[in-house]
Amino acid sequence: MPKLIIDGRHIEVAPGVKVIAAAEQAGIMIPRFCYHPALGSAGACRMCAVKFLEGPVHGLQMSCMMEAKDGMVVSTTDDEAVDFRRFVIELLMRNHPHDCPVCDEGGHCLLQDETVSSGHVMRRHIGKKRTHRDQYLGELIQHEMNRCIHCYRCRRFYQDFCGYHDFGAMGSANRTCFGRYADGPLENPFSGNLIDICPTGVLTDKPARFKGRRWDFERAPSLCIHCSLGCATIVSARYRELVRVEARHNPAVNGHFICDRGRFGFGFANHSNRPHHARIAPAAATYADALQAAVNQLTEISRTFGSQAIGTVSSSRAGMETLMALKILASAQQWRSPSCFQDARQRNAVVSAVIRLSPDTAVCLHDVECSDHILVIAADPIAEAPMLALALRQAWRDGARVTVLDPRPVSLPCEYTHIPVAPKQLSAVLQKLMNALLSSPDTPQFPPLRTSDDAHNAGTVSSPSCDPKPDTALQLPLLAASLQSSQRPVIVCGTNIVSGTVVNAAADLVMQLRASRKNAGIFNILPGANAFGAAIASPDGASFSEILTAIESGEIQALLIAESNPVRWFPDRARIRNAFKKLKLLVALDYLPTPVLDVAHIIFPTQTHFETPAVFINQEGRMQQTSMVHCNGMPLSQQTAGKHPPREFRHDVPGAGAKPAWQVLLELNAALSAVNTPLPSYSELWEQIEQETGIAIDRRPDSDILEGRRLRLETQVHLPETPPPDTPPPINLQEDMSLELYPVESFCGTEELSAYAPILCRMEPMPELIMHPSDAAGCGLTDGGMVTIQSDAVTLDVRLKTAAGTATGTAFLPRHRQLVWRQAGSTDSRASLLQK
Amino acid sequence: MIPEDFKQQLQQHIAGVEHPREKVMDVIFMLQDRFGYLSDELLEDAASLLKMTPLEVEEIATFYEFIYRRPVGGHVIHVCDGVVCWMSGYTAILDHLRGRLGIDFGETTPDGRFTLLPTCCIGYCDRAPAMMINRKVYGNLTPKRIDEILEKLGWDITGKRDDTGSL
Repeated sequence: MPKLIIDGRHIEVAPGVKVIAAAEQAGIMIPRFCYHPALGSAGACRMCAVKFLEGPVHGLQMSCMMEAKDGMVVSTTDDEAVDFRRFVIELLMRNHPHDCPVCDEGGHCLLQDETVSSGHVMRRHIGKKRTHRDQYLGELIQHEMNRCIHCYRCRRFYQDFCGYHDFGAMGSANRTCFGRYADGPLENPFSGNLIDICPTGVLTDKPARFKGRRWDFERAPSLCIHCSLGCATIVSARYRELVRVEARHNPAVNGHFICDRGRFGFGFANHSNRPHHARIAPAAATYADALQAAVNQLTEISRTFGSQAIGTVSSSRAGMETLMALKILASAQQWRSPSCFQDARQRNAVVSAVIRLSPDTAVCLHDVECSDHILVIAADPIAEAPMLALALRQAWRDGARVTVLDPRPVSLPCEYTHIPVAPKQLSAVLQKLMNALLSSPDTPQFPPLRTSDDAHNAGTVSSPSCDPKPDTALQLPLLAASLQSSQRPVIVCGTNIVSGTVVNAAADLVMQLRASRKNAGIFNILPGANAFGAAIASPDGASFSEILTAIESGEIQALLIAESNPVRWFPDRARIRNAFKKLKLLVALDYLPTPVLDVAHIIFPTQTHFETPAVFINQEGRMQQTSMVHCNGMPLSQQTAGKHPPREFRHDVPGAGAKPAWQVLLELNAALSAVNTPLPSYSELWEQIEQETGIAIDRRPDSDILEGRRLRLETQVHLPETPPPDTPPPINLQEDMSLELYPVESFCGTEELSAYAPILCRMEPMPELIMHPSDAAGCGLTDGGMVTIQSDAVTLDVRLKTAAGTATGTAFLPRHRQLVWRQAGSTDSRASLLQK
Repeated sequence: MIPEDFKQQLQQHIAGVEHPREKVMDVIFMLQDRFGYLSDELLEDAASLLKMTPLEVEEIATFYEFIYRRPVGGHVIHVCDGVVCWMSGYTAILDHLRGRLGIDFGETTPDGRFTLLPTCCIGYCDRAPAMMINRKVYGNLTPKRIDEILEKLGWDITGKRDDTGSL
């Protein structure tokens, strides 16, 4: 462990650490542009020059290029170093326009900060500045190339770190410019990070342009809830409107970056149709009146039909407080336990995943990056947990193998082996893999990896490199051998298209690998930001399809839906519509303008996790809390329709009718119980949650709120294991061919919250039906043509895409916002395919 | 669009290596030698042959000074603007060339015969100032020697020429 002295401070760092990073550990921030902890050193900007006074190196050196060594004495404040850095800044500023007042980076610009701190205030260069033509880079990123100082961070991130090749560095010397070959949207689903890493205003947040300076904003650390990974974010708001989301460094989860869905998907919180006031349909009502009406009617229904005639529904996007308040309410009133999952398959898969995760086997995203063999089972990382794809790439760059067992033509930004296996066969295949692991044969050589040779294609579903029909049986022993030869294998298991059987089999594999002294871990992907919490809060709750059956039979007369939109994902829209009509009372609490609110009798608007603290438990059991960014209310831009704000004084915030959902639920509980005890506060609610589930938020002043904390699962309540249900595919296409259709996720257009973000809606790709070319040929269909899924009730037109990486006998349709895919399941699960 | 027979020739050249992109420089120069410069269309065709994105080929094509992304004249004159040439009379040489040809850097004579471009050091420092035409290097340049070279390449140095530089 090298020991060195930087500016008089003694530090000991790990071997291989660069001096610039060592200084940072000691709290000394050496100026830099090209160096970035995640991207490493480039030595391009010359800004981090320091003086080496003693030790193996002497003189002025770049601290990002020098490894810390024993005996080094470094000065960052030496006159020579300070002078050098001042000249570097002057040279960089030679071509940089003096446009800080109109630049969107102004106020949080590294170049600005370092120019000021170096003391460069007078321009000596009198020649022309070099100029560039700016490019259109899509809806998300604004290009202003004249401001560039050539640090190469963007290109290194885009091509090396992410593996996409449609953005890069062109030209040489003073002409170097960063951009695309031609104008067009960036193809990288992580492109938004260019905004964060660009040290000046070349690449800025386009949707947030002209919205304000950094110091105008209300800013707070928050979480992304657009998938189950729980990436850390910093959120900025102004005038009751969210303006932008940036990545926040969480070393265990997302590192320095987030995906574009998480960065630009916040539009749901600003949505113009968002409910702001309570309603007793069809008219607006005061909160107190709505509460009283709900209490009266719920009491009446409970008296007439019994308390079990009242069902409760929530979802995995609700925070822990909401889920637990609903549970407290339901159990106090003896209503049915909250239903948080779509169907028995999903509940079974998620609950199994939670049960099988132990502190020993659970790994975080950073552990995935450090793994040497990752087996991805039944998961499509880019669509279901985008940052996982980036972690897989980092592991691969470090020499790891990546193998994917999935029926979809999964595409990853790294080299990987894809073995297409139909969902129904997955558990059998995993069993075979287990057998191969148990019998220890002479380990044969694993076949050479296939490259995802069109790396620029990595974001799309096509994966031309996959064999049409790989001999799975042949590949399994080789895969087993490769796992056997790894040291830190990680098994990634999805829960979107499989049941608990596969999740359990994946966990068994991990246990087996651990038995053979591997440091093996499991990394599940769950359906929703707080699916883990939902499994803890309501493992015994009915699935939504069971609730529907109970409504149809008249057992349920009233339904309370808290932050859930079953209409969006339930694959039978007609059925759900009729069931809701049958209800005597439908109470809905939500912050989204969902179709449920259109038919609900009583509506309570609720606050998003930007407006009230909320706890989410991510897929590895990490409990993280959001903090309040701004207060709830109607965005000023909507209130004034772009005009000057009203010149009137008022005591309330306009449009601030929403309360945290947990508070509404607890008030409902108090009113129904007719007790006059004061309502529990936030911390009292958490005391109650701790009693019920054993999980607690950290109330210490130095709590790990920013990094979250993995739950010690042994202390959890025991989750009753539900028998794994058979998993019928939702729809059988072409019965004679037995082609099964699965609704799946895609990066854009299927996730619930971002579907309310206008910016992402504008750029989502058109949905496509995906199947294997031989299946398509068998049905007489051709790639790229429009096909019609025809059943008794519905005709669904969609473009066909054939991909050789698809498992035969399966077809995939995204749960796309623009597609009425839900109606495909509205008959007896049989449909046929026709081509126009 | 690359003619089919030439495309086959390129494919054969690429087929010999494990990673097609290894041959990117060869392919670019083969195309440039045949067609004079690397047009957008040729660049995109080359990218698909090499299994690269057009951007990746563009990164390389715009980096090197001897790859032309715009049409050039029959003879491309690369004048070395390295430090030693600067010290050895580069400016005078350049002014002479500009006067004789009536064009500036980046321009082509109206008859399409000559293009004038700067280049970074070509390693002829011992014979500075130097320039390179058609892959042949000329050192120890003087106005007289430049006139000889231009005449040899068929340029009428006594050409009737007005102040605007047109013939």
